[in-house]
Amino acid sequence: MERSITTTRSTRRWPTKVAPLIAALLLSLLAAAAASAREYLQLFVVQPYLELHTGPGRGYPVTQVVARGESVDVLMRRTEWFKVRTEHGVEGWAYERDLVHTTLADGTPFQINLGDRAGFAAHRWESGVFGGAYAGASTISAYQAFSLTDNLKIELSGAQYLGNLSNGYLVDFGFAHVFMPNWRFSPFVTLGGGYERVEPKATLAEPLSSSNQTAYVGVGVRYYLGRRLFLRGELREHEVFTNQNSNEVKNEWKLGFAFFY
Amino acid sequence: METRICILLLSFVALECSGCAIFHRHAKPDADTQSSDTNAQTSPDSDANAPPPSVIDPQVERRTVKVPSIRPSNVELGVYYGELSIQDFGAQPVAGLRFDYHISEDFFAEATYGRAKAGFTSFETLSNIQLLSDAERRFTYYNLSLGYNLLPGEVFVGRNLAMTSAFYLLGGIGSVKFAGDQNFTVNFGAGFRVLPTDWLALHIDVQDLVFRSDVTGEEELKNNLQATFGLTVFF
Repeated sequence: MERSITTTRSTRRWPTKVAPLIAALLLSLLAAAAASAREYLQLFVVQPYLELHTGPGRGYPVTQVVARGESVDVLMRRTEWFKVRTEHGVEGWAYERDLVHTTLADGTPFQINLGDRAGFAAHRWESGVFGGAYAGASTISAYQAFSLTDNLKIELSGAQYLGNLSNGYLVDFGFAHVFMPNWRFSPFVTLGGGYERVEPKATLAEPLSSSNQTAYVGVGVRYYLGRRLFLRGELREHEVFTNQNSNEVKNEWKLGFAFFY
Repeated sequence: METRICILLLSFVALECSGCAIFHRHAKPDADTQSSDTNAQTSPDSDANAPPPSVIDPQVERRTVKVPSIRPSNVELGVYYGELSIQDFGAQPVAGLRFDYHISEDFFAEATYGRAKAGFTSFETLSNIQLLSDAERRFTYYNLSLGYNLLPGEVFVGRNLAMTSAFYLLGGIGSVKFAGDQNFTVNFGAGFRVLPTDWLALHIDVQDLVFRSDVTGEEELKNNLQATFGLTVFF
């Protein structure tokens, strides 16, 4: 009888035994968090004053200014806005074009990649989303590109196409060469290869899925809209290597928006 | 006699000095001298090209000053829950995941993935005939959209609390898997975002998912209105 009581009690007390463990774990996590407390970038105001807005947007009112010679700690960045803390502990949002007039502790100017025309011409990453058609089927596609140089980029794109007869997926990997990256309206060519997955609709006689290797060549244009955003349109011709007697040629067009960072 | 003693002493001194020189010659040269000798033998021109020996060699490494990086916080990740009115199949609960990337102060890109389960058409309810199987009734979709913060602003809770907010418009494309078919979908809508803190956002969204389908007989545009509450965290 006593044993059973002991068992029950021990079962009930189990959470209380675990509680200190959890508390210790939480404390250690907190300690780890405190230990890894960030060191913030310190910027010095060299212009007459630096305006601080109440929110990360041009319309938010300016309620604080930081005087020349004072410094701010940069807590984080959201789009073109930087949350900063003044020496007096006041927090606010500073605009990136105001912060480029500040300096680091050693007196060198604070440099930052602005989302402007210069950034459109020279950037490291870009991503985008497109709508279009592949061999008559509607497509939804997205891409990611990495700039090897201002002109040459490696691109990875994925698409889903939805047609009357079949659905499927495309994955492409290749190169893009932009001819005049500094032009607002800049043409480019693409070259690469990939895979095509075809899933015929169940109502057809041959509902067999298949995967084929492809190669593509394309031509397109980019049009700079503003900030980090641009339009991108492209025509691609895919050579699909099937296991039939002849290869298939499928055309794709796509148009959408992209952004760089 | 004295001169003899002098000669003897002088010869002893001379012998002693030469003896020291002999001992010194046989003493082992230290390693540095030896190595420099070797170098001199192997590259006789190196002395001419070598920089002049520095007077002070300060053995102090230059400190590299590490500039702290700025934490970017442009990505929003979260969940939403609400009601989706699937045309002809009634309104049903919908739940989903959303991913936002804030491109600029004005624009953001959004990817969403949602799931719902369609109800019954009035025909099915009245006739007791099921048009769709259970699996086909599953309504799954994804959207890739571009959003525009049309009306950014602040909301005030009481006297002391102000939270940044934005009313935004959203439009994009995607795909809906429903009734055994997958359809190209166009979505558009509007939403409201409030940020109680810099890292947390609450959303209210209304969207229309439009696609062409022949599930109820003839092919037509299906409008599927969705109203959701969302919770996202900024990274």
